[in-house]
Amino acid sequence: MMVRPLAGISEDWLAVVIGLAIFALSLGTVVGLDLLGFAAAPKTWIELGNAVQPAGKAFAPLGGLGALLLTYLFVLALLLLGAAALGADLRRFAIAFTAVFWLSYLCWIAGNFAYIAVTTPADMEKFGISWSLRLTGESGYLIALLAGLFIANALPRVACALREAARPELFIKIAIIILGGTLGIKAAEQIGLASSVMFRGFAAIVEAYLIYWAVVYFVARKWFNFSREWAAPLASGIAICGVSAAIATAAAIRARPIVAVMVSSLVVVFAMVELLILPFLAVTFLSHEPMVAAAWMGLAVKTDGAAIASGAVTEALILANAAARGIHYEKGWMLGTTTTVKIFIDIFIGVWAFILAFIWTRYIEPRKEGDELRTGEIWERFPKFVLGFVATFLIVFLIALASDTHVEPLSAAMKEANVFRQIFFLLTFFTIGLLSDVRKLWQEGIGRLAAVYVVCLFGFVIWVGLLISWIFFNGVHPPIVSG
Amino acid sequence: MAKPEPEIAKELDMAEHKPDIGKELRQIPAEPLLPIEKKLIGWSLGLGAVLLVVLVWLTGALFPA
Repeated sequence: MMVRPLAGISEDWLAVVIGLAIFALSLGTVVGLDLLGFAAAPKTWIELGNAVQPAGKAFAPLGGLGALLLTYLFVLALLLLGAAALGADLRRFAIAFTAVFWLSYLCWIAGNFAYIAVTTPADMEKFGISWSLRLTGESGYLIALLAGLFIANALPRVACALREAARPELFIKIAIIILGGTLGIKAAEQIGLASSVMFRGFAAIVEAYLIYWAVVYFVARKWFNFSREWAAPLASGIAICGVSAAIATAAAIRARPIVAVMVSSLVVVFAMVELLILPFLAVTFLSHEPMVAAAWMGLAVKTDGAAIASGAVTEALILANAAARGIHYEKGWMLGTTTTVKIFIDIFIGVWAFILAFIWTRYIEPRKEGDELRTGEIWERFPKFVLGFVATFLIVFLIALASDTHVEPLSAAMKEANVFRQIFFLLTFFTIGLLSDVRKLWQEGIGRLAAVYVVCLFGFVIWVGLLISWIFFNGVHPPIVSG
Repeated sequence: MAKPEPEIAKELDMAEHKPDIGKELRQIPAEPLLPIEKKLIGWSLGLGAVLLVVLVWLTGALFPA
């Protein structure tokens, strides 16, 4: 059933509406109304019956299955409203989303199996097990990614049927908006560290933009002889933030839509590869510099979804590694750092696209009279979901700053909202895999584009990102909490 | 407005049926770097180097270890 799309609504604005709705409902706990306590939160388990529990104590009688069913219906209802606003086929969306939700959640439950997730000897004793892969509960995200990847490549018809609900960018934007509230609490509690992270993130991004783009553009033009029409979106896709940047740049220089499409398909595949490799490299070599590792994920991994997903996995792995050494870092700071870096990147996409549009229209392909560049184009390309993130961050930050008595109820509220943030993370991982059809790499003509991507990403972007992260974040550590 | 990835994927599917993209990519005519492109690359890297010094100094000054 198709419905007419709402005028002016975009996926960005939709993320703002859904994210703020969940955030607002979570604030009910501040005034004694537990509106989201039914949210199904996975627990580390050895008996399947204990794998899921409602987040709020008042909802305990629901049991795991009841909570899971209510959570599914709640998220489905929210997204169906969103799909209706976007003019999607509601029936197809509902069917596809149902499959995406349950498959994703099953992966999450699998990742929380004690033999996979437990990280400390004390917990092994608690669950009565003698060994564990020590991958943390976040391994459920990676299992979801691999499941999506398997479906995309081994069962393409199934992947095609699920595509209506495969919207990783929408899911991650909703998650980021909810995350804003959690970061607001942390910032209020550690204002010095929070402002330091923000400044360092800003500095790292300025450097990455200026160095990455120029080098990748030069390599594409000079070494691989790409035309300007191909080289500019390719440089933005590899160097900045994947799909959004490639599309914004293609539009800015008036490239044909097919250029952005081809570059975007590469970005999605390579982002998935980065997501599978970089967090493990980070925990191997940077577990003593957790914030460097976190910023590195933000600078090196393309697309919001994959980058923040990498930040989440990196945080889980490094926290577990540190805990094994007797160091207990406060959770959330690494993910907050990756998110901060990524948010700055997103904000700058519009500015960079405007600069390119200015150069192209003025010097390379002057536009005709009446078709001049407008400063309003910066706003048109501004990622609107950032407004949602800033709003949730500031609301919680300012309330918590106003009085210490608000911190505890706000923390409880954000804890419940966080369950939905994790669910949207999970959906992001699964659908990133679902869209990563690696056979595209063998598509006619894409080999040369892929060659530029491989050379620049693995030969330059990842390592310069690491260097920049090291310069600005080495020596900065998350707060230590008592063991 | 950035398109959602499924839309891009759909366009890509359509693109797959356009064999001239592969041909086009193989036969891209040589486009030498224009002076303005060289300037853009040079300024970007130069500004990056200068700002690196400034931002490292500012970070140290504002947030001493």
